[in-house]
Amino acid sequence: MNIQPPNSSSIKSRFAVKFVQAMKRLSKRRGMGDRYKRYRATRAAARVSLAAAVGPERAWSRAVLRRIKKRRGLIGRTTTNPRRNLRGLVPGGKGMDYCSLLSETAHYITCLQAQVQVMQDMLHLSSP
Amino acid sequence: MGSEGSGGRVFQHRGGGRDMNSGIGGTNSASDKVSGVTMCSESMFYGSNWDPIVSLGQSGDFGNSNIVSQSEFANNPLVLENQTMCGSLAQFPSDSGLVDLVPRIPGFGSGSFSEMATSFGHNSDSPNFSKGVSQDHCPNSDGGILGASPYGKRKREVQQRASPKSGEEEQHKDPSGDTSKEDDEMKQKFEKGISRGKQAVKQAKDDQSGAEPSKDDYIHVRAKRGQATNSHSLAERVRREKISERMRLLQELVPGCNKITGKAMMLDEIINYVQSLQQQVEFLSMKLATVNPELNMDIDRILSKDILHLRGGNTTPLGVNPGLSPSFPFPPYPQGAFNNAPGTGPPFHSLSQHIWNTELQGLLQMGFDPDPSGSMGPNGNYNRSITFLDAIQTSVLCQFRVVIIVFFRVVENGAIKVRA
Repeated sequence: MNIQPPNSSSIKSRFAVKFVQAMKRLSKRRGMGDRYKRYRATRAAARVSLAAAVGPERAWSRAVLRRIKKRRGLIGRTTTNPRRNLRGLVPGGKGMDYCSLLSETAHYITCLQAQVQVMQDMLHLSSP
Repeated sequence: MGSEGSGGRVFQHRGGGRDMNSGIGGTNSASDKVSGVTMCSESMFYGSNWDPIVSLGQSGDFGNSNIVSQSEFANNPLVLENQTMCGSLAQFPSDSGLVDLVPRIPGFGSGSFSEMATSFGHNSDSPNFSKGVSQDHCPNSDGGILGASPYGKRKREVQQRASPKSGEEEQHKDPSGDTSKEDDEMKQKFEKGISRGKQAVKQAKDDQSGAEPSKDDYIHVRAKRGQATNSHSLAERVRREKISERMRLLQELVPGCNKITGKAMMLDEIINYVQSLQQQVEFLSMKLATVNPELNMDIDRILSKDILHLRGGNTTPLGVNPGLSPSFPFPPYPQGAFNNAPGTGPPFHSLSQHIWNTELQGLLQMGFDPDPSGSMGPNGNYNRSITFLDAIQTSVLCQFRVVIIVFFRVVENGAIKVRA
């Protein structure tokens, strides 16, 4: 049941590529001025790109992608910070047993770290 | 999560556990609870009260109810609980409570022992604690207890036998089926476990396997959340180990968690960390949304960023200009007034330009750096000219190198892109 820990650099590059593509599409979209909408769309793009970069092999990424397909409130989750419960934080954490929740959390943390690094680098590079 | 026991009793459990008897009086009240857990505070079980308990323990089943209190949460992230007949019983206002406790033990023993095995096994994997406990209590007790309890403990031993590292599925084996060999093994394991329990309790790090515990060891048996007392000790133990292993993994991931040695606190830290990471992502995405009009450069940037990450270990070679990208491996070259744009190709234009600019800055800085070593002497001009030529060569080579590196990166990323 223990899947190998994620390869940080591969996730970083995959996420970077997908995220940049998503941002390009976003910038071309109409109705995306400097508004709150843009921020929300960027955030959604970030989460989706990360999940897509990870692929379907992880429960949390599957949960994120599922949520996109259902077109449910993908964004609202993190703004209104859920109660301090690990199940509420990790996507798809509600329907998991404790063991898998912990392993998903570990993987999720790694991916989040990679995502943060990529986005920071993008930010620094775009406006040095 | 585990709740800190009242009155100094430490109640630990991973899942939220059963409602453990927080007080000694509780043991009286809840026979069913007895089956779950009896917590003994550390202060309680040391020695002094042994005798009355021992006397009470003369009943044959009493031996099965050895409970070791595990008051050191820090030492044992997983709660080990075993029934102890010491300590907690000592606090009983009267022995009647203990007596009440005793008859229930047999029922408890069958199920809880497996839990004890699992829980205790976490530390020592020694299901023999029952036997050991009886022996531990032996010094004070008569042979009666010893005589009575071993058989009772045999039951436990057999059940515990299932939980040892061998992972045999003997937990449900009939108690009568124990063998002397098993007893010996169990005894050893149990004593080891006892010693561990003792050190957990006393913080004495004596790991003598056969050491006779000076005090009574209390092994708390903790029932898992939502699980009956008859749950499979083996499965329980496996699950516990898995969970503890993952907690350790998480502990390594989350920075600054090396000192924290409690599951509840670890989980809090993890939750905090995940929340902070998510907030960071939100914040960065907000910034990116407002700051990022040009996306054409981004791919190049990202490529360069990858390069930088690849070379991440290198300290800034430019030295003078720490503000530049630190991972450029190119050594600083003397000043060269190069303005030729790197014409390596449209896709690399921005990247090489970027690198070129930084390098140029470095070169400029180097050039203006007063060189006390004598390049300013009569040969200064000569040196300068030489270095100028060198700079030209090296910068060209540099550029080439940059191009090559970028090319490789692009190829790599290209493969990824295709896949993506």
